[in-house]
Amino acid sequence: MRASCFLPLLLAAPMVFAGKYNTVIEIGMKAPSFANLEGVDGQKRSLSDFKEDVVVLVFLANHCPWVKGGDKDLVQVVTEFKGQSVRVVGLGVNLRPDDLPPAMKKHAARVGYNFQYLHDPSQEVGRKYGATRTPEFFVLDKQRRIVYTGLLHNSPAQMRRDGSVQYTNGQPVQHYVRDAVRAVLAGKPAPVAETRAQGCTVEYAR
Amino acid sequence: MHRRIRPVTQAFLPVVLVAIAACTPPPQVTLDPIGFEDWKRTLASLQGRIVVVDFWATWCVPCIERFPHMVRLHHQYRNRGVTFVSISLDNRDDKQAVEEARRFLVRQKATLRNYLMNENILEAFEKLDLVGIPAVLIYDRQGRLRHRLTGDDPNRQFTEKDVEHALAALLAGQEAP
Repeated sequence: MRASCFLPLLLAAPMVFAGKYNTVIEIGMKAPSFANLEGVDGQKRSLSDFKEDVVVLVFLANHCPWVKGGDKDLVQVVTEFKGQSVRVVGLGVNLRPDDLPPAMKKHAARVGYNFQYLHDPSQEVGRKYGATRTPEFFVLDKQRRIVYTGLLHNSPAQMRRDGSVQYTNGQPVQHYVRDAVRAVLAGKPAPVAETRAQGCTVEYAR
Repeated sequence: MHRRIRPVTQAFLPVVLVAIAACTPPPQVTLDPIGFEDWKRTLASLQGRIVVVDFWATWCVPCIERFPHMVRLHHQYRNRGVTFVSISLDNRDDKQAVEEARRFLVRQKATLRNYLMNENILEAFEKLDLVGIPAVLIYDRQGRLRHRLTGDDPNRQFTEKDVEHALAALLAGQEAP
């Protein structure tokens, strides 16, 4: 059979996206949009509101020890890119009482979140991004294509019951999100495009 | 004579029952470290039985919430050729977490085979090819993975019912070989 004979078959195949660790999105695809999600500041925001060259989305959950363990490093990354064309947006999609907006507000204030923290009660934004863990990062370039997804760095940290933080691999040495952001700002591809996020599972309503 | 003994027996019966209960050893609950390679060998050694593996951790709230269901299934099916295994993905280097996991298992009276994955946690997920937990893997009597129940797809996250249905189907031999 000639190669051209395959073409109709290929065209007829359903469009199914999947990353290495993500069943919904893949690197390079257009980032799904979201609209009118209310933040902990009471303001509603959409992806199209953000005009920066890079948007970093991170799915978070207040209850999750891996989120709590990574909060300090997340705040640090936001600080690091202050003054540059980078926007970090936190997203909460869990429906557990301790992950809902009242708890999000308290958590954001206590930890000192220096970025927008939005909640999606429909969970649609999480479904569209295939986000199943918290924290889970997505870096979007200026054209709002997904250029990186996964861990913040190579040593995710967990907060223990006594409030202490334990890194999985000691001090982080590979900063995947930071490197991806820097690469996009420099007009280059992210050095690492996908890692296996480590964290709590996002529970979706059925 | 019986008339004289019966009231005495009745009076002491609760005491005797309490004493028997107190003297009965509690169900044996263990949490054994296991490396990935040893786990593969252990799994292979269980051929001939259906094996249900529940991956969990104390830091995983849905895992904790679902664990009692797994213990109930273990009691329900253990005499029907099914082996239940729990594998904790708590950080092996965190003594607090490991002890918390052990205490949780004792509270749950989890008399199934309980292992603690003795690997770096990120490497454990990599080697086990897991994205997140809770996750339940079900192997048939030939040792083949027949059901991989996970939360990896937001639109098809597994439920407790999925575990029951998968197990029932395997036991009934309804699935194609």
